[in-house]
Amino acid sequence: MKVTVKNWHAIAQWRWDTGTNEDEGDGEGDVCGICRVPYEGCCPSCKMPGDDCPLIWGECSHVFHMHCLLQWIGTAASKQQCPMDRRPWVTAERKVNHSNGR
Amino acid sequence: MATDALRAQIAGKWQSAFSRLNRGEPGISGLLSFSEAWTIAADFLQPRDLADPAPKKEHDMQEVRGAFDTLSKSKMLPMLLENFLESMRKQRYLIEREVDQFMSQYDSTEDCQYIAGLVLRLVEWYKAWAPIPELGYTILSAYTLAFHTQTFSILPPSFASGFKALVASTLTLIDSDTLPTWAHHPALAYYNPKRPDVPLWSAFDQLGLLDRYESLISSVCYEHIEAHIQETCAGKWGEPMLARLREWMAEKIVPWMIMPYARGARNTDEARSMLQGIGSRFDFHVCKTLSDLRTKEIFDIIVDYPDSLCALQDLKECLQRVDQRTELVQTLRKANKKRLLHPGADTKDILLQYVSIIRCLRIVDPPGVLLYKVADPIRKYLRERPDTIRCIVASLVGDGESGDSLVDENEPIQPLQQLQVEDYTDPNWEPEPIDAGPEFRTNKPSDVISTLVSIYDSKDLFVKELQVLLAQRLLSIKDGNFERERRNIEILKIRFGESALQVCEVMLRDMTDSKRIDQHVQSQKSLSLHPTIISGHFWPPLQSSTLTMPGQLKELQDEYSKQYTTFKPDKRLRWLPQLGSIKLELTLQDRTVSADVSLLEAAFIELFSEKDIWTIDELTTRVRSIDRISAAKALATWVDMGVLKAGGDSVYRLLEVAEEVPTSSSAAAIQHLPAVEEVPTIMTVQQQQAEQMKVYWKFIEGMLTNLGQLSLDRIQSMLKLAPGYDRTIEQLASFMEAARREGLVTVKDGVWKLNR
Ligand SMILES: [Zn+2]
Ligand SMILES: [Zn+2]
Ligand SMILES: [Zn+2]
Repeated sequence: MKVTVKNWHAIAQWRWDTGTNEDEGDGEGDVCGICRVPYEGCCPSCKMPGDDCPLIWGECSHVFHMHCLLQWIGTAASKQQCPMDRRPWVTAERKVNHSNGR
Repeated sequence: MATDALRAQIAGKWQSAFSRLNRGEPGISGLLSFSEAWTIAADFLQPRDLADPAPKKEHDMQEVRGAFDTLSKSKMLPMLLENFLESMRKQRYLIEREVDQFMSQYDSTEDCQYIAGLVLRLVEWYKAWAPIPELGYTILSAYTLAFHTQTFSILPPSFASGFKALVASTLTLIDSDTLPTWAHHPALAYYNPKRPDVPLWSAFDQLGLLDRYESLISSVCYEHIEAHIQETCAGKWGEPMLARLREWMAEKIVPWMIMPYARGARNTDEARSMLQGIGSRFDFHVCKTLSDLRTKEIFDIIVDYPDSLCALQDLKECLQRVDQRTELVQTLRKANKKRLLHPGADTKDILLQYVSIIRCLRIVDPPGVLLYKVADPIRKYLRERPDTIRCIVASLVGDGESGDSLVDENEPIQPLQQLQVEDYTDPNWEPEPIDAGPEFRTNKPSDVISTLVSIYDSKDLFVKELQVLLAQRLLSIKDGNFERERRNIEILKIRFGESALQVCEVMLRDMTDSKRIDQHVQSQKSLSLHPTIISGHFWPPLQSSTLTMPGQLKELQDEYSKQYTTFKPDKRLRWLPQLGSIKLELTLQDRTVSADVSLLEAAFIELFSEKDIWTIDELTTRVRSIDRISAAKALATWVDMGVLKAGGDSVYRLLEVAEEVPTSSSAAAIQHLPAVEEVPTIMTVQQQQAEQMKVYWKFIEGMLTNLGQLSLDRIQSMLKLAPGYDRTIEQLASFMEAARREGLVTVKDGVWKLNR
């Protein structure tokens, strides 16, 4: 017998590749350290998640909603530091390397 | 011992009496003529026997008048009257004899012509015995009174029923072509053939029957009105009947009323003013009777709405005249309880009827007091039904396949109005008084949807249910056309507010994005997989399982994921494998089979392309932890299609060549399978809540362990101390009830304790 797929309507869920949770687990545990909203949600000033409210990766390996981080950096109290480790914030070049993917 | 003075006094009195009788005539000639006059007058007045065949005695009227004059001058008329009335009493048996005859004829035939005959005959007696008018009003009226009294004492009890029948037959004259038997009576037959009853009414009047039977006569008319309304209006709801009834009254009843109620009127104006009181009473009775009828029919009138609009407008007008509002409320509440609020009724039907009730009672009673009283039990009942919200929501998004929508398309879409009046948790809440003024309605929602949503304390439940429903509908769209859902969401935004529908906006965006992404992916590499890619946090929880797709299905997923990540380098896809559907084509040795199947079904058949024979256990191991029942059901689909054959020991074999009679064997196989409900892919709000409620079980368990037994109120108030607890007491009640069914707790007299 030969099985031919003519048309498959599937449901999938997207998630950010934060480089941390690579396994198949629920992968929903990670939240933005600033607003405490999951990465796949959106920051408090956005209504649409995803491309409209992207993430920003730091050299320090911390990841935030971009809008949250920019707002944080814009405050004097931030001293341009990562809010998690108080190291100077340096935005990481996003690695387009999926060899370590599943 | 008589003194001289006394003697003289008596002599004086005699003298004056004598001279009065003698009227100052010379000698005793006056006295002689007095005695003669008495004889003539008494003889003239003597009540004669009408049945006596001897000709009526002729009187010289001049002589009679002279005699009365003589007696009048002697002031002896009162004595003459006394004497006359005494004679009447003595002759009473003459009338009694005839009354008995008429009445025995009536009693044996029940034909009211004998009553008419009797009445007319009594009038003859009355006239025959009447003194001449010259005797003056006092004597005449004394005679009339005496005659009436005598007549009434003679008439037997059955006369009243015969009289009633006779009066009733006068009411139907106007509508009937044939005259009743009584109309052929010689005293009536030559009168206006259309109104042979006119002389009859005069006779009633002369005999004092109109006064004596006043209430009986009006009751005849009341009953006539009732019968007419019953006959012409029952079940007839599509036409305005009240106006027609009033026309009928004016045309048919008023002409009749003139006889009993406007006798002696000299012109129309006089007649009108005489009829005013009784006319208004009859009009009231028309309203009362129609209102009673419509009240009795109210449930079905509401079912029939809007076809029954006229009946409702009639009822409104009647209720303005007759205060039957309490009866209406009670009847409708009773009917609702009996016919609507029972376990056998569909929630959807209850809601439809409730909405009709809202619309109908608003017509009858715009201030909404009636609706308020009727709606209360319905709302309480609906609140206890688990699927009420879902039904309302389904109707909101136009899910009604039956075409019966709760939402009136003509009703403007407006934001929800929250109402305070029905907030039963408010300690200051009080029912509105019956005479609630115009302000009663100002804080009530006027549109149907707001009224329905206000069944619940908050609209949050609706919003959640809306999200579930929209999610289900969006995920089931296969042709990529979700314009309808977009429109729905736009409308819902007006009703529920932008923020409540924000997640639905995200869902819609996911739909458009998915379409765009798929177009891109397909342009890179044509794949037969077209996923809807969702933003998980914005969709209702999807039931997750760990179905692992085998073979080419997995390859397809992986290839799509790869293409996706190439397009969106920061993102990954996670497949929700048990959702969606797949169209397959199986090429077998002797045939091809096309099938639209679930993913589990697809996964299984894909495995059969590896080898022909599998056991259920082998199959479930390959796709990972699928329960046996779901697995058996998925396999049964293929067995039904004649692709697989079930053997013993849960072994399934691929039929590369079709079997002769595939149906019978599969039918046998199916019989062994327990029926499995189609698993909904999205958790309903109810399921979500039950899931969350479990968290609180250990609090409840702890409470009951430490405190022994608690009322629901106590449990609720203690749970409020638990973090994040936001359930209503109704939700807690249904949870406790579920716990009781599981045997965890018992309840007695509203007090809960652990079952151990
Ligand atoms: Zn954030
Ligand atoms: Zn943002
Ligand atoms: Zn950092």
